[in-house]
Amino acid sequence: MPSFFNSWLPFIYLYVVGGIFFLLGMVLIRRVKGIDMRQKKHRFWWKVMIFGYFYFMIIHALLIIAALYW
Amino acid sequence: MDRIHTIGTQTDWVVMIVYLVAILLFGSYFSKYNHNTTDFFFGGRRFSWWLIAMSIVATGVSSHSFVKYSAKAWEYGFSSSMAYMNDWFFIPFFMFGWLPIVVYSKIRSIPEYFEKRFSPSARFFVTILQLLYLVGYIGIGFLTMGKAILPLMPPTMSLFGLEINITLMGLIIVIAFVTGAYTTFGGQIAVLFTDLVQGFMLLLAGLMVFIIGIDYVGGWHAFWNLLPTEWKMPLAHYNKPSDFNFVGIFWQDGIAGSVGFLFMNMGLIMRFMSAKSVNEGRKAATFNILFMLPVSAIVVSGGGWVGKAMSMLSNSPIPANTEPDFIFVVVANIIMGPGVFGFVVAALAAALMSTVNTLLNASSAVYVNDIYNPMRIWLKKLKKNDKGNEKRALLVARIATVAFTILGVLAVIPFSSYPTVYEAHGYFHSTLTPPLVIAIFLGVFWKKFTPAGVIATVIGGVSLMVLGAYYPGVLIAPFDHGTPMDPVHPYTYIGALYNTFVCLAVGVIVTLFHKQFTKTVNRIKKYSNRNLIMSVMVIVCAIFFMLVILNIGGVQFLFIASLIMTFLVSMISSYYIKYDPIAQTEGLTVSSLHRAKEMFKGSKLNERDGEIVKVNWNVRKDDEDFVNLSKHEMNKMNAEVGDLIYVSDARKYLGGLKSFHSTIGEPHAEEGIIYISKEHLQNGLLIKGRLLTAEKEM
Repeated sequence: MPSFFNSWLPFIYLYVVGGIFFLLGMVLIRRVKGIDMRQKKHRFWWKVMIFGYFYFMIIHALLIIAALYW
Repeated sequence: MDRIHTIGTQTDWVVMIVYLVAILLFGSYFSKYNHNTTDFFFGGRRFSWWLIAMSIVATGVSSHSFVKYSAKAWEYGFSSSMAYMNDWFFIPFFMFGWLPIVVYSKIRSIPEYFEKRFSPSARFFVTILQLLYLVGYIGIGFLTMGKAILPLMPPTMSLFGLEINITLMGLIIVIAFVTGAYTTFGGQIAVLFTDLVQGFMLLLAGLMVFIIGIDYVGGWHAFWNLLPTEWKMPLAHYNKPSDFNFVGIFWQDGIAGSVGFLFMNMGLIMRFMSAKSVNEGRKAATFNILFMLPVSAIVVSGGGWVGKAMSMLSNSPIPANTEPDFIFVVVANIIMGPGVFGFVVAALAAALMSTVNTLLNASSAVYVNDIYNPMRIWLKKLKKNDKGNEKRALLVARIATVAFTILGVLAVIPFSSYPTVYEAHGYFHSTLTPPLVIAIFLGVFWKKFTPAGVIATVIGGVSLMVLGAYYPGVLIAPFDHGTPMDPVHPYTYIGALYNTFVCLAVGVIVTLFHKQFTKTVNRIKKYSNRNLIMSVMVIVCAIFFMLVILNIGGVQFLFIASLIMTFLVSMISSYYIKYDPIAQTEGLTVSSLHRAKEMFKGSKLNERDGEIVKVNWNVRKDDEDFVNLSKHEMNKMNAEVGDLIYVSDARKYLGGLKSFHSTIGEPHAEEGIIYISKEHLQNGLLIKGRLLTAEKEM
């Protein structure tokens, strides 16, 4: 069985440190009105961006579980 | 160790040559659509998202290549895919920051952005870094192509009675000649369309190797069970070994690489600039990262994974002397029949050629727009804002392409010292991307970032980076997260964290002390011997920089010298550069995007949603740049006079090839008809009797 260093630690590091950059970007574009939530298109893109973060997180989690237990 | 040679059959060679000639002819056909340098470089800002997305696939897949990822897949398993699944974190910055700024500010290159945002001197330093980056990338492309094709070649070849040894470098020179010739005469439109075909071929070839390979080892269950658990993990071990660890690759690829790829890869940016609108660019980026990159991860690594499973079989067909960089070609040869193997290698070689094409095209764009034209303006042979002679510019672009092909071949020499292309590329990214990435990032997202800050980032940051390369055990070790230091190639990946940190620190600190620098400079300006003071500062900077480059004086002295030099560079920049923080940030930072759009349009924005209408067309006698629609159509589009419009052939599969942008003029009374000028007809390549779609842009 691979160690924590070979399984979940990289996952946690990826989505916490990467997540900080992602969150920073989301907050920044909202604060400076780079994204205009009054526009339908922009509201769509906001949802797509949040979806993308969890999409990759879920894919990685499932792949780790499959490697460990399947 | 003896290298593998002469794999494949005559049929494979015939298939390969036919494929490559067909791609060349296809590219040449589309080169007729290059009317001017805008078309040659940017494809004329007209294409649909799916065409851009497919074209990005060919570039992304081949630049992160079958060769390098299969090598790591063969050595370490599924974690070779992690570089394809860590690009999402910067997507908000890209889609709602950099992409609209690039399009709306109408820049033709990244250095041009630095001139508008900061100063011509900032543009000069960034141009040098940008060209180094592009030439390095071209070198990596050539090296990869050479390694992909070398196993197919015999060790020697007889030509007119002469016995010629086939070496990696010799092969690369031949490949460079073919690639350079194709890009020189094709330009961006040719690249875009051959990429579309190549994107499909590449995906097909990679998936074929993976699927047939799984079948070869006995099906999915056999494949899965042959691999040890460590090789099934999607992310590498946190910090070991030195040549492939998660944390190093996260900073090198996930942070520096992702930002570098999205923000400063001129080849990629030119793809987005050829999209018909910013929204279309967003669609292409999203589709590519969410769907195509995970598929691409399988496509590029599959050969290595299958190779590893094959090596676990009791009678493994993989030769013992297989180098990691050759594994994809070796596996494809074992599992594919004659001819099919030829197709796979041809698809790989053609796609690699596509990446290099794009980079060569981007290099010549940077040269023409950031060196050639500014030099002509400086020498007063060209007036500012004057487009100059388009034919001459196109000729210069073509000559520049040839020159960059030669430089790219020379860049192969240092990279070939690395055991695999993956490590060579990793080191290249860790070293060359941080200063530019930080300069672009702070420039776009921090309004207060000053010209002194950007120049100090480039010069002071590079100086500290060079010092880190000389003394990794002292300077990079505190950032290493426990990754071991390889004495031959120290901190190939995690070096990116140190490099990014020092560049960021220099940029931020210099900008925060902007007021103090300005005060001191104003005091110096009052002295009668001010010119002497500034000359001494410049000389001291040059001496310190040379000491760092030549590593004379030991780490402590050189570190202090770098800091003093950074301080002096900031003073010199503050003294000489005239900077208007209001005018030079308007429309050029993320906080003024609305203004950027207004400046792009030239009038107030109309962002009300409207329909896309289908219309027949008639030609006016004049050449004015506006179109006339009926009131009925304008109401449907929610459009007003003066709004920007995109008009295209209604056949969607053309992807916008036959289209043009214009402005809406006064309405007329004929429903279902659009009046266009003769120039629109010519630029839009429209065909008589074909229906058009008209879409309000803003």
